[in-house]
Amino acid sequence: MKTEVLTKESIQESFLEFLCQQFLVEREDIELEKSLVDTGIIDSMGLIEISAYLQREYDIKITEEKMNRNNFGSVIKIVDFVIREKL
Amino acid sequence: MHDSTKRCTCCVLSENFPKIEFDEKGVCNFCREELYHSTEKSYIDEATRAISEMFEKERGKAEYDAIVCYSGGKDSTLTLKLAVEKYKLKVLSFTLENGFTSPEANKNIERVVAALGIDHITFRPSKKFMRELYKVSSIYEIYNKKTLTRISANCNSCISIVNNTALKYAIEKNIPFILSGFTLGQIPLNAIYYKTNYAFLKESRQSTMDKLTDLLGDDVHKYMGISDRVIEQVKTYPVNINILCLESHTEKEIVDEILPLGWVPPKDVDGCSSNCRLNAFNNYVHETKYGYSPYELELSHLIRKNLLSREEALHKLLDQPMDQIRYAMKDLHIDESQLPRFKVQ
Ligand SMILES: [Zn+2]
Repeated sequence: MKTEVLTKESIQESFLEFLCQQFLVEREDIELEKSLVDTGIIDSMGLIEISAYLQREYDIKITEEKMNRNNFGSVIKIVDFVIREKL
Repeated sequence: MHDSTKRCTCCVLSENFPKIEFDEKGVCNFCREELYHSTEKSYIDEATRAISEMFEKERGKAEYDAIVCYSGGKDSTLTLKLAVEKYKLKVLSFTLENGFTSPEANKNIERVVAALGIDHITFRPSKKFMRELYKVSSIYEIYNKKTLTRISANCNSCISIVNNTALKYAIEKNIPFILSGFTLGQIPLNAIYYKTNYAFLKESRQSTMDKLTDLLGDDVHKYMGISDRVIEQVKTYPVNINILCLESHTEKEIVDEILPLGWVPPKDVDGCSSNCRLNAFNNYVHETKYGYSPYELELSHLIRKNLLSREEALHKLLDQPMDQIRYAMKDLHIDESQLPRFKVQ
């Protein structure tokens, strides 16, 4: 669990690092506004991996209802989701 | 046994595996990654507790407590046995007969199901569809890069139908759990147990489904799709659980556990499979297209957990029964020249 002050930038930075390491892609492959699934970065198992990562890293609880396009539809949406959950 | 491939000196990951880096001793970055090893145990402990709580809560409420995806291979045979004997679940065993199950595996299924005294259903999709599905999965790029580090495209196609069919049965019969025989080398740590938001999953799978529909027509939806009607109707979805991830058995220990059920090791499959006659071909296609075997990750995981020696793993990887590969190519009408070839970057 991260203890430093969370900012949009810091969450996005750690998240992108996680994506590159975990999903075998380069930064330039990731389009921030586009769906990670549609762009072929992750598959349905990837959604589960991302959700587990966020729960562990930011100590939030993600039920399957929250795993929707509004919250998980892109890197930007995921970062916003984490911020909302941490408020 | 000759291995000309450059591999990690600890595990069997090879030089063409995505994002691999070797240090001066020839050890790969996956072996060096400490984080993974330290978190695994806590994940398993947490999952063990959560799973037994879920079983406790749901046991006996529905006609069946769990549907078990049963391929007849050794891992899913042990899964079935644990579900019945260790977890005391009332199970419905389910087999997808893909048209290429080894005849010996089919006999195993019959004997094991009888020995455990459980209900069983088999779903056999049209052979024409299955042949075409395997053919396009072999020739075209359907799935993403990460998926393919764990599994061949053909196995993934098959498993998509297994998962989808099991889900339909579970929903229809109100079965709270779907059990599969995956182990930790095959799936990520956090997929030991999980629930899915199917509406989102459906959206997520759209691009794959579109690719397949373009190549195979609307039948794809029948076998691999979830209808909107189902999504709208269902209140609670079943939980997917891989109980084998909570165990640590060597291959020999698994076989010893299931021999009393009448399970016999099939001789008509390759070293990595204990049920499917396409497996040797599937691996061959993967190696031709991507330059590494879809079993490297799983076998390497077993080596790191001391459940398999590096030598045994190499032996499995290098077992390429050409007769089975030729049989599959002939049956699927695939020509060697149709397979894209891996190029070193
Ligand atoms: Zn290694």
